[in-house]
Amino acid sequence: MLNFSKEQIKIKIGDMSMGGQPGELPTVLFGTVFYGKKYRDHAPEAMEEIAGFIATQEELSQMTGNPGICDIFIGSEEQIETRLNFVLDRVPENRPICVDVPESELRAKVLDHAGEIGVSSRLIYNSLNLGLEEMEKEALANNPPGCAIVLGYNPKNMSTDGRMEILENGAGLLDQGLMDIAKEANIPNMIIDTGATPFDHNTAETIRSIPVMKNKWGLPAGCAIHNTVESWLWMKDYRKTHREAYLTCDVGANALPVMMGADYCVYGPMRNAGQIFPFIAMVDKFIAEGGEDYFGIEIPEDHPKRRLK
Amino acid sequence: MMYPWRGEYTIGSPDSPVAIVTLASKIDFPKDKIAIWGHMKTENLGIEKVVANVISNPLIRVLIVCGEEVRGHRSGHSLLSLHSKGVDDNGRISGAKGAVPFIENIDEEAIERFRSQIKIINMIDVIDNEEIMKAVEEQLAIDHESFGEPYIVEFVDNKNSDRPSVKRLTGKIGFHKDLILDPFLEIEEMPVEES
Repeated sequence: MLNFSKEQIKIKIGDMSMGGQPGELPTVLFGTVFYGKKYRDHAPEAMEEIAGFIATQEELSQMTGNPGICDIFIGSEEQIETRLNFVLDRVPENRPICVDVPESELRAKVLDHAGEIGVSSRLIYNSLNLGLEEMEKEALANNPPGCAIVLGYNPKNMSTDGRMEILENGAGLLDQGLMDIAKEANIPNMIIDTGATPFDHNTAETIRSIPVMKNKWGLPAGCAIHNTVESWLWMKDYRKTHREAYLTCDVGANALPVMMGADYCVYGPMRNAGQIFPFIAMVDKFIAEGGEDYFGIEIPEDHPKRRLK
Repeated sequence: MMYPWRGEYTIGSPDSPVAIVTLASKIDFPKDKIAIWGHMKTENLGIEKVVANVISNPLIRVLIVCGEEVRGHRSGHSLLSLHSKGVDDNGRISGAKGAVPFIENIDEEAIERFRSQIKIINMIDVIDNEEIMKAVEEQLAIDHESFGEPYIVEFVDNKNSDRPSVKRLTGKIGFHKDLILDPFLEIEEMPVEES
C-alpha cells in the first residue's frame, strides 16, 4: 500500500531475496528453533520434532513463495556445532541460516565456528546490537557474516528517533553507530530490526520505525513483534484458558509491520509455521495488489499473489 | 504504594523479609513466608521491575535469586552484577554478561538503595523447592530490621517526552517528522531517490 520515493535496496543471499518496494518481494519469514528447555540437551525426540518443524516450514515456503529461514537459537558454546550442523543438513544448500545468539562472547564463537566450516557467507547474524563487546568486533572482522541484522534497541530512548540513533551514531552508548560497525567489518548485507518492545514501552514505535527507517536508508527492515505479544501481561493469564486467542494475536500481530512496509518477520517458534505462512501470504497478496494496481510494481511469478490464486 | 510496578509476581506476607526471583522457572512458595516472588526474564526491564518493587517494601532485606538461568539473557547473573557492581555512566550493568544489560528507567539513587537494603543469596539454577525453602527458613530465623521508609520509583509510561503537542497538518497525513504522506502528490512527481 505504501511506496517509497527512496530507492529500496534488495539483498540476495543464496536463494533468498529480500527488500524492495512494499509488495515487490514476498515477506521473508524467520522461524526460531532450539529455543526452550525442551531442546537444551538435544534429546533424540526433541531433535526429531525440530526436523519436522524445518520440513514443514520448507514445504510451506515452497507452497506460498515466502522464503522460510531457520533462526537457530544458541545459548551456549557446546550447542554451536550440533545446532548448526543439524540445520545445515536439513535446509537447501544455498539457503541462508540465521543465528540467534543473545550473548556477545558467544556470538564471537559462533562467527569463528561458521568461518571454520565455511558457511560465513550464508550466515544472517542476529544480531549486531548494543551488547557488542570488543571480542565480538574482532570476530566480525575475521569472519564477517553474509548479512547482519542491526538492532534498533535503545534503552535510553525508545522513540523512533532514539532507535535510529543507536543505528546511526551509537546514541552515546556506543562509540559509533551499529551501521558503521557493520560496514567497517565488511559485512556485505545489512537489514534493520526495529526492536520490538513490550506494551507501555513505546511499543508502537517498533511499527512506526519501519517506514521511517526504510524511507531514510532504503534498507530491508522488520522486527520480531511476537515478542510484544508474548510479554503482554494480561494475555499471560488469558492464554492459559484461551490458547487459540493467544495464537490469533501472536500470528496476527505480524500483519502490522508488514502493512507498514516490513520486508521480514521473525515470527517466533517454528512450530507456528502452519499458521503464519498462509497468513502472511494473504497479507502479501493485499500489499502486492495495491503495489501493482496503483504504483505499477512488477510482481514476480513466485510471489504468493501469483502462486496462491 | 507497595509494589508499584506491574509484573508477573505473587504477593505473600507483607511482613516477610524474604523476596524470591525464580528467573526462568515457575516455582510456588508458601504465601505466609515470602513477601513477593515471581520470575524474571530480561536483563534490563525485568531487573528494573524487581528493583523497583523490592525497595518499595523496606521490610524486604533478602532476595533469593533461584530457578533456571534465562539462557542468553543471563538475567540472574546480570541482577547479581547490578547488586555487586552497580552501573557505569551509560547505565550498563558493570560486569554483566547478559544480552543488553542496561538500566534506564530507575535512577542511581534507587539502585544504591537496592544495593544497601538487600542481601542477595545466589541460588541460580537451583529449582528444588525444598532446598530453596531451607534457605528461606534460615533467613526467617534471623531478626531482620526494617530499612526505614519505602522507596517508591514511579513507573512512567512514556518517559521520553511529556504528552506530545497535537500535531496538525493541512492536507497531509503525518506519520513522523521525517515522513509526511502527501495524498495529493501525483505519482509522476515522485522521483526515485538513489541510496
